[in-house]
Amino acid sequence: MIDVLFIGLSLSSILLLVALGLAITYGAMGVINMAHGEIVMAGAYVAVLSGIWLKTSFYVALPLAFLAAAALGWIIERLVVSRLYGRLLDTLLATWGVSMLIQQAIRLEFGLTFLGIHIAGLGTGLQNVAVPAELQGVVNIAGVELNAYRGFIVLVTVVLTALTWFIMYWTSLGMKVRAIIRNPKMAAACGIDVRKVNALTFAYGSGLAGVAGVMMSGFKGVSPDLGSSMVVDGFMVVVTGGLGSLIGTIMASGLLGETNALVAVATNDILARAVIFAAVILVIVLKPEGLFSFKRR
Amino acid sequence: MTLDRRLTLCAYALFIVAIFAVPLFVDEFGLNRIAKFLVYGMLGIAIALSWGYAGILNLGQGLFFGLGAYMLAMSLKLASPTSLQQGADKPVPDFMLWNAEPGAPTDLCCINKASFLWLPFQHQSVGLVMGIALPVIVAALLGIIVFRKRIEGPFVSIITLALVLLVRLVLVDAQPVTGGFNGLTDLASLEIFGFEFDPYSKGTYWLAAGILTLTLVATRLIVETRAGLVLQAARDDQRRVRYLGFDVSLYQTFFFCVAAAISGVAGMLYVIVAQFASPTFMDLAFSVTMVVWAAVGGRASILGACVGAILINMMEAGISETEALVGAWKAIIGLVFVLTVLFLPRGLAGLLHDQIGRFASVGRDKPRVAHVPMSSAAVTETKEA
Repeated sequence: MIDVLFIGLSLSSILLLVALGLAITYGAMGVINMAHGEIVMAGAYVAVLSGIWLKTSFYVALPLAFLAAAALGWIIERLVVSRLYGRLLDTLLATWGVSMLIQQAIRLEFGLTFLGIHIAGLGTGLQNVAVPAELQGVVNIAGVELNAYRGFIVLVTVVLTALTWFIMYWTSLGMKVRAIIRNPKMAAACGIDVRKVNALTFAYGSGLAGVAGVMMSGFKGVSPDLGSSMVVDGFMVVVTGGLGSLIGTIMASGLLGETNALVAVATNDILARAVIFAAVILVIVLKPEGLFSFKRR
Repeated sequence: MTLDRRLTLCAYALFIVAIFAVPLFVDEFGLNRIAKFLVYGMLGIAIALSWGYAGILNLGQGLFFGLGAYMLAMSLKLASPTSLQQGADKPVPDFMLWNAEPGAPTDLCCINKASFLWLPFQHQSVGLVMGIALPVIVAALLGIIVFRKRIEGPFVSIITLALVLLVRLVLVDAQPVTGGFNGLTDLASLEIFGFEFDPYSKGTYWLAAGILTLTLVATRLIVETRAGLVLQAARDDQRRVRYLGFDVSLYQTFFFCVAAAISGVAGMLYVIVAQFASPTFMDLAFSVTMVVWAAVGGRASILGACVGAILINMMEAGISETEALVGAWKAIIGLVFVLTVLFLPRGLAGLLHDQIGRFASVGRDKPRVAHVPMSSAAVTETKEA
């Protein structure tokens, strides 16, 4: 039982890292970023590429992926999303186009396949990332054997969530973001540079997604369509948790991750996902503002 | 009749003549292909109706398409010669036999726990009726729940998205009854009053073209009725329309059902033309792709969305002939989509409309001051957020 809950916890952790970025961008900027999953995928490819080309260890990939994904997010925000503020559904559609572009960029190795050039680590195939030896075993805690890698995922997530918490509630940048979440026009009127803060927020959320990608690369093969299901799961979490609510996102990812693990053990993976979708539909219908939301002003 | 209206009429007439003229130039194999594009055109119409006119972005239109397709496919599967085992007089789909537990009776009623659901589909008419009825029933239930609760904008999109993925998962999981990942293949041709619709025949193309024309004209007429106007008003400002005493959810549900019915019919046509039904119809990518077609063609124009769907698919088919370009195509369509949303929110139809409007105003004494766009969907979304 505890091992199932632990698997659920590690699922929740990855969900949380993916959803945090979505929750912030959706809550603060009214942007539905369908390319978020592809940013996760890009993070996973940073792990693949840094392993092959830089010969660095898995741990180095974490900050690298954060930076690369943040840069990618920043570019997307500047080029596409910033032109669409206030057109919520259009952001959804445009970022879907962006996600197709990113996927194809990896598949076609940035178009170099047409020139007959091949870059190791890119392309349509599955790539593997070597997990450090110390994370491969099991850890014995209170008589229960727990997978060390899953423990590492939980640990990193806790650290990053705490960091996000700190930024959001203890720095002036965080205060600006929270002001924008509550009322963007009023925030702008108070002298907050909404454009700049939005771009930074978007980049930070993307960075978290990049780290999530590195974590995922550790226990499953990396392929260009790795991210497409992640963005759906991420949105399920955001909607369940409530818009712009950090606590809500944390609780909802825990809830959905654990439900997924428990149902998967009781039946199978497919039904587990189906139950999650059914639960989310119920939540939207019964409590559209999310389970853990605050009142908007 | 205003100039605008005359031009619209011309465009519709031109399109209808064009699709009926195709068989003069194309062989049977090509016709089968184009018939598929016409089916996609129907999906474009459904998206334009629900997105452009009702303001409901359905990211799960594939659900209704898939339901329609599966319903008819079940009937055609039972009519297929592969369903008749040697010596048996009652049909049992082949995949059920492969999945049957040892000792299970080889009969549709009880070969597995849920196979009795297939019994009514022995009559082909049941498949045909259910192909429209089931999507409409599902849409009505969903619409009543969602629109009564006044759920709006992205939440409706996410519900529809979650629902189509949910149904897809269940469909794949219920492999003994639905054929799982493989879907339903090896189908018979549709037969109505003794006429067999062979997918590679002119008859089937006429069927697709006829139904598309009917849908196109009917949809265009229905949005001009009083109900259609109330719907468009509700898209622009729900609260005001509600204040005027209209039951907005009723109108939304009705048009949601109409879009579902169109998609269901499209699904059935697809099965007749392509002779298979597969869970990929309910992939998220497929549903979003439909939205791409409509967006490029013109989300607020029924004909535009329809033509957009057909043109994009024709281009895709053309490009896919060259192996190396298959991957590039996806990137191109992604780029086109981003650019359309950014710079052409009303799609090709909007662009064409503006150009013709500008051209027409040159020839007249007074320039047209109040240029009324076909729809203000792009404008309304600004308000929504």
